[in-house]
Amino acid sequence: MTDELKVTVDRRPNGAILYTKGYINNVGGEEIANRAYELMDQDVRLLLLNLRETKIVNSIGISILIEIIEKMSDKGGKISFCSLTPVINKTFQIMGLANYAQIFNDEDSALKELAL
Amino acid sequence: MTATAERQMELTLPMIPDIEIAAARAAGNLARELGMSTEKIDEMTHAIIEACINAREHSGSEDRRIYVRFVGTSPSEGNPRIDVWITDHGRGFNVSEARTRRKTLGPAHKRGWGLQIIEAHMDEVDISTTAEGTTLHMVKFENKS
Repeated sequence: MTDELKVTVDRRPNGAILYTKGYINNVGGEEIANRAYELMDQDVRLLLLNLRETKIVNSIGISILIEIIEKMSDKGGKISFCSLTPVINKTFQIMGLANYAQIFNDEDSALKELAL
Repeated sequence: MTATAERQMELTLPMIPDIEIAAARAAGNLARELGMSTEKIDEMTHAIIEACINAREHSGSEDRRIYVRFVGTSPSEGNPRIDVWITDHGRGFNVSEARTRRKTLGPAHKRGWGLQIIEAHMDEVDISTTAEGTTLHMVKFENKS
């Protein structure tokens, strides 16, 4: 029915950027979680999720993103997001994700603020 | 008298993973034909996705089908609207309990946000639910008065 979510990782000296492409549903959320947990196991404590090529999310996928944020927070790290569509941004606000993670308009402003 | 262009579409969808995307795409195509903006279409499609997921995940329907109907209306003065009905033949649910669940349980409980998302993204939502099934009637306007 849908293209499988693709996640691309760009390792940086201070952390990593995860680029998502496709639908963040339960399967897509788990794919992001797997990549994020691999990075956490490698002691990465600063992650930026760039969602510029994701146009659709659902509440199950977002609940998995919140779990990732909580696990990173437990390890003393931080997850941020950038390049959200207006409706995804609104959905993040509704579900409270925005209370636990910084959201940037674009990657440039995120990289500058996070020194990533 | 105001002339209107009305377009209708009906779908019967199996309850399989990601089937919500089929309903969302159909509604999006209809909305684009009516001249609705991308932002309004995106909000509507995300609400439809949550409604279909709720039907699939929680209705317990024996026929394992989601019945979807769209009616698009485009008045000659502008401000098109889309009415969406999402129906399942499941066991129904307690609407007030579903609406207050998140406020009661707090942020630690991450699942069950579907109804809140639907009501935030649509302009009107009406829920009819009995032991024989549930219908969500949702309306999206290009310009909400």
